[in-house]
Amino acid sequence: MLRVENLESGYGPMQVLWKPSLEVKKGSITSLLGPNGVGKSTLLRTVLGSVQPWKGKITYEGIDVTLLPTHKKVDLGITLVPEGKHLFVGMTVQENLIMGAYRKEALKDKDDTLELVYSLFPVLKERGKQAAGSLSGGEQQMVTIARALMTKPKLIMMDEPSQGLAPKLVGEVFETIEKLNTEIGLTILLVEQNAEASLKAADYVYIMHEGRIKTEGPAKEIAESSDIREAYLGI
Amino acid sequence: MIFEQLAGNLIQGLVLGAIYGMATMGLSLIFGVLKVVNVGHGAFIMVGAFVTLWLFNALGIIPIFAIPVALIIGLALGFLFYYTVMRKLIKAPELATLLATFAIGVLLEETIKLIFGSEFRGYNWAVGKINLGITVLPFTKLYACLGSVAIAVLLYLWFNKTRAGTAMRSVVEDSEGARVCGVNVDGVYALSFAIGIGLTVTSGVLLTMFIPVGINPYMGGSYTLKAFVIAVLGGLASPYGAFFGGLVFGLIENGSYTLFALLPNVEPFALTRFLSFAMLLLILLIRPTGLLRAK
Repeated sequence: MLRVENLESGYGPMQVLWKPSLEVKKGSITSLLGPNGVGKSTLLRTVLGSVQPWKGKITYEGIDVTLLPTHKKVDLGITLVPEGKHLFVGMTVQENLIMGAYRKEALKDKDDTLELVYSLFPVLKERGKQAAGSLSGGEQQMVTIARALMTKPKLIMMDEPSQGLAPKLVGEVFETIEKLNTEIGLTILLVEQNAEASLKAADYVYIMHEGRIKTEGPAKEIAESSDIREAYLGI
Repeated sequence: MIFEQLAGNLIQGLVLGAIYGMATMGLSLIFGVLKVVNVGHGAFIMVGAFVTLWLFNALGIIPIFAIPVALIIGLALGFLFYYTVMRKLIKAPELATLLATFAIGVLLEETIKLIFGSEFRGYNWAVGKINLGITVLPFTKLYACLGSVAIAVLLYLWFNKTRAGTAMRSVVEDSEGARVCGVNVDGVYALSFAIGIGLTVTSGVLLTMFIPVGINPYMGGSYTLKAFVIAVLGGLASPYGAFFGGLVFGLIENGSYTLFALLPNVEPFALTRFLSFAMLLLILLIRPTGLLRAK
């Protein structure tokens, strides 16, 4: 569904991505693991286009989308749950969700998608009229995921969705991710620091180090290889 | 007697304040969306003043009809400067956009000076006045005030009722969040810059309707400074905050003028200017988020 080939990008003169390549198969949960600051977030942001790719190629459902502007990619069904939430804290929960249905394609089905989102996250319906900024961290994370769902994505990229959450909530986030995959059929590219939980949830895993893909394989194999776990994941 | 004078001046201040507020909305809008401080703000007000002057003196078109002309010229200038200059600088350090907007201001001033010369000009649009007992208000001032309020209301409706306005609000709140929702953030930047400049050029029309004299290429400087004070009063990033900041500023400026005029051996006009900047310093020291920001 998504293929990234020899991608290079960075910020200003600083190169962050050194030709990583990866593929996300339709219907899968693909996880991108690795320590902090190795370029995982940059890779997601480059795929979405909020960071400009320098070189390399990004293909989505057979179309070359390397230089497509972000809003056109959202039209095609790619979206991102950004690290650090990036909610509209001054707007209500419902307004945040409706912002997710900003593109014309998503706007058409706004009411249906909203109903689906509320069935997945009933607590958000209760909080609908509240300012997003007044919610707890866990609830805010739900709004971020829900807002991304409102764009009617086919591929959803998640950047550290469990970051800063209490252990119990981390479990809930991973449950949600698996639910989105199995029940709604979303393809998910997951960036996480929580390697243990990601290995359990994912089908296929890439391990990134210093802007490069160091190793890859089915999640089970990676989980069972103590060498890889020790060398790259420290678990 | 003094109270009547004060009340009269406060009414004038409220009228002028509405125009000041409108003249600051563009600055706040551009700062809110693009996080760019438009140092050339006053030069765009000056362009609006010259549009009004030229239309009236050369073609006999009354200032009310200069409003749409100024708006269109402002929108065009906004798009032009966004795509030629600002777009490339938006991710650059702040100094780059400060210098760029300063340069744009100088460019406008010198261009207008080449065309019209640098002497002070004015126009005389006499449409009568209304006597309120404590003060006399020319209809031109009243029209300018009503125009300002109408534009502020239109901007509010635009922000809250249209798709493009919603997109702008989302970018003000969180541009990265807006991007993942599929908002064309670059397009919003361009549109916001254009609307901000459009509002500012239009405010030049309204300001000359209040003060139809003293129009010259360098008149913008004092308005830039006032707009900064007003924008800070209103919390910097909010156009409505700016509007109410303008009302407050107009009241303080005119009210203090009356009081300063009572003091012996002072030039009250110079003191009101001193007061406005003393206010700016105080606000920045005590409440840097602006007086009208509750949160």
